Amino acid sequence: MRIKSHPILGEVKPAKSLTFTFDGQQMLGLEGEPIAAALRAAGVMIHRYTKKRKDPRGLFCAIGRCTDCVMIVNGRPNVRTCVTPLEEGMIVKTQYGAGEASK
Amino acid sequence: MKRYDLIVVGAGPAGLSAASEAASLGLGVAVFDENAKPGGQLFKQIHKFFGSKEHKAKMRGTAIGAELLDEAQRLGVEVFLNSPVVGLYDNREVLVRQGDAVQHYKGDGVIVATGANENILAFEGWTLPGVMGAGAAQTMMNINRVMPGKNILMLGSGNVGLVVGFQLLQAGSKLAAVVDAAPYIGGYGVHAAKIARTGVPFFLSHTIVKAEGIDRVTGAVIAQVDEKWNVIPGTEKSFEVDTICVAVGLSSSVELLKMAGCEMKKDGLGVIPIIDDDGETSVWGVFAAGDVSGIEEASAAMIEGRLSGLAAAGKLGFVGPEALKNRKEELLSALEGLRDGMFAPKNRGKSQDSTSEGLPVSKCLLANGFLDDSETFSYPGVKSVPGLHPVIECTQNIPCNPCQDACPKGCIKVEGKIIALPVFDEKSKCSGCGLCVASCSGQAIFLVNEDLGDGKAAVTIPYELLPLPAKGAVGTALGRSGAPLCPAVVTEVKLIGAFDHTALMTFTVPSKFAMTARFWKNEVPA
Ligand SMILES: Cc1cc2nc3c(=O)[nH]c(=O)nc-3n(C[C@H](O)[C@H](O)[C@H](O)COP(=O)(O)OP(=O)(O)OC[C@H]3O[C@@H](n4cnc5c(N)ncnc54)[C@H](O)[C@@H]3O)c2cc1C
Ligand code: SF4
Ligand code: SF4
Ligand code: FES
Repeated sequence: MRIKSHPILGEVKPAKSLTFTFDGQQMLGLEGEPIAAALRAAGVMIHRYTKKRKDPRGLFCAIGRCTDCVMIVNGRPNVRTCVTPLEEGMIVKTQYGAGEASK
Repeated sequence: MKRYDLIVVGAGPAGLSAASEAASLGLGVAVFDENAKPGGQLFKQIHKFFGSKEHKAKMRGTAIGAELLDEAQRLGVEVFLNSPVVGLYDNREVLVRQGDAVQHYKGDGVIVATGANENILAFEGWTLPGVMGAGAAQTMMNINRVMPGKNILMLGSGNVGLVVGFQLLQAGSKLAAVVDAAPYIGGYGVHAAKIARTGVPFFLSHTIVKAEGIDRVTGAVIAQVDEKWNVIPGTEKSFEVDTICVAVGLSSSVELLKMAGCEMKKDGLGVIPIIDDDGETSVWGVFAAGDVSGIEEASAAMIEGRLSGLAAAGKLGFVGPEALKNRKEELLSALEGLRDGMFAPKNRGKSQDSTSEGLPVSKCLLANGFLDDSETFSYPGVKSVPGLHPVIECTQNIPCNPCQDACPKGCIKVEGKIIALPVFDEKSKCSGCGLCVASCSGQAIFLVNEDLGDGKAAVTIPYELLPLPAKGAVGTALGRSGAPLCPAVVTEVKLIGAFDHTALMTFTVPSKFAMTARFWKNEVPA
């Protein structure tokens, strides 16, 4: 759900589209935005599951403080997606526990 | 180890102001901020700010941030972004994480202006995806331009909850309700009123019982609480929402000050540093300015920053005693003026029963977010006169006066202290220019012509939502509570540069609704 026009901020400046994958699924995001913004725009809510109770977690603070939004990015676990800029071709995966991916 | 005359931690309003003040006196200054963007809280604040001309009133937060950054850069301040400060040790040694390395810097003086963290609130289901801080919602919608959710419940009626609540409406989300466990709204009444008149209900003395949903929020249950904040069984209400925003207060971000060994005192849920009137802590040469030294507003943060920057310059011998004294007095008196307001530290927690003028504060406003129609005439901004005139529904002591400055005809006066309630001078002649309506940071000013001669009245409201209706559109006029009153035809929509994105919408209603119709909805009454 992108905000295309806004009464105060006006129209969104055009940005280059980037492709990336989320759990193997092809997705589109925009250059200059954090991974979490691209995911939220695509309707993805769950970023990871906790180790012990396997509870789902999603975006909470959006400023890199709470670590609820960490995922496996290009094979690296524990990447805070709310402050990590999206890049072309990124491979983003839901993180299970301390860093195992589903596939 | 690189040395600077002054190191400032945090590029928010306090930090940038401190840096500029010091740099203007000749100090070599570095500012470090962990964010990728400067401005601190300001760059998410798209609403117009309270204050006076000197405090950049009626500018939007984003514009204030840009202006402060400009000033700092013009004065040669070095601003380092993506640079979290991770340590502050003896002799003002500062550790900064830059890239993958930790760099050491030394400041002859250090000003900590790290702002505040959002408090969290634990309740059943609070870790579900879809529960987020109000600040996170702002980052999503105002920076990333992505809607945080479609249907949102706001927890907390302080200024953050109210301001972010309205911003959610501007982003196109629906606000299901604003909920607060306290019996009275915590933020400014004008911020509550602009949400209430759109039809959003307030549930005071209510708390959240749980967030519903298996792997994401699909609903929320709230319930009434008694005086001891216990849930009253049987009062539960459910909402179908996909997002729950938490805005239950801020706590000063004092980690670095603690590390430096500064003495602290209790403040609300957290602690704040003990400082003198220069902002200096118990550790020589280490200052604290802005929200880190106690939660206030950007206007106060900017002056506190300047005071600390000035004091650091004085301490390090960059400014003579006479010049120091004069400038300090000037800054302190500006701060004094602001601190008469209802949210100043000395007034916090005090009962808000009456204004400094001795007028009763509306109980309806405090409990429901809107003035009762019967109360409006008891305030000095609301008078009934023939012809076009402003109606100023600003009824609490806010350190704010752009309405007075905006009016070229002298219709509006904020006399004596800046916190005084604005007065409409009924002997003046309003030209209908609309500048007061657009400049009011609280969206509390309306223009009304109670009798157009044909039994109808014209009401002009500030309108900051999309889509803007076309002239001739037929919709429904809503009252202050958001309740539908009658059909209303839009006769003019005006948006000029001087209004800074606040459109002025004029609609006509039967004259008997002139003093009650305060919003327009694009829906034809059934
Ligand atoms: C929703 C909302 C609405 C508001 N509306 C108004 C209003 O209408 N009028 C008004 O006057 N005020 C308003 N305020 C308050 C105002 O924004 C704050 O009082 C003000 O921003 C405080 O300034 P500051 O410089 O102390 O802190 P901040 O603006 O929070 O800046 C602190 C900076 O420090 C940085 N930082 C923190 N820790 C570190 C570290 N370890 N290393 C490096 N950098 C660090 C942060 O990234 C941040 O950039 C509002 C606040 C909110 C949240
Ligand atoms: S509309 Fe213009 S003239 Fe009338 S009160 Fe407002 S600012 Fe003054
Ligand atoms: S009426 Fe005046 S004092 Fe009140 S909020 Fe509006 S601009 Fe500020
Ligand atoms: S949402 Fe908190 S670290 Fe990303």
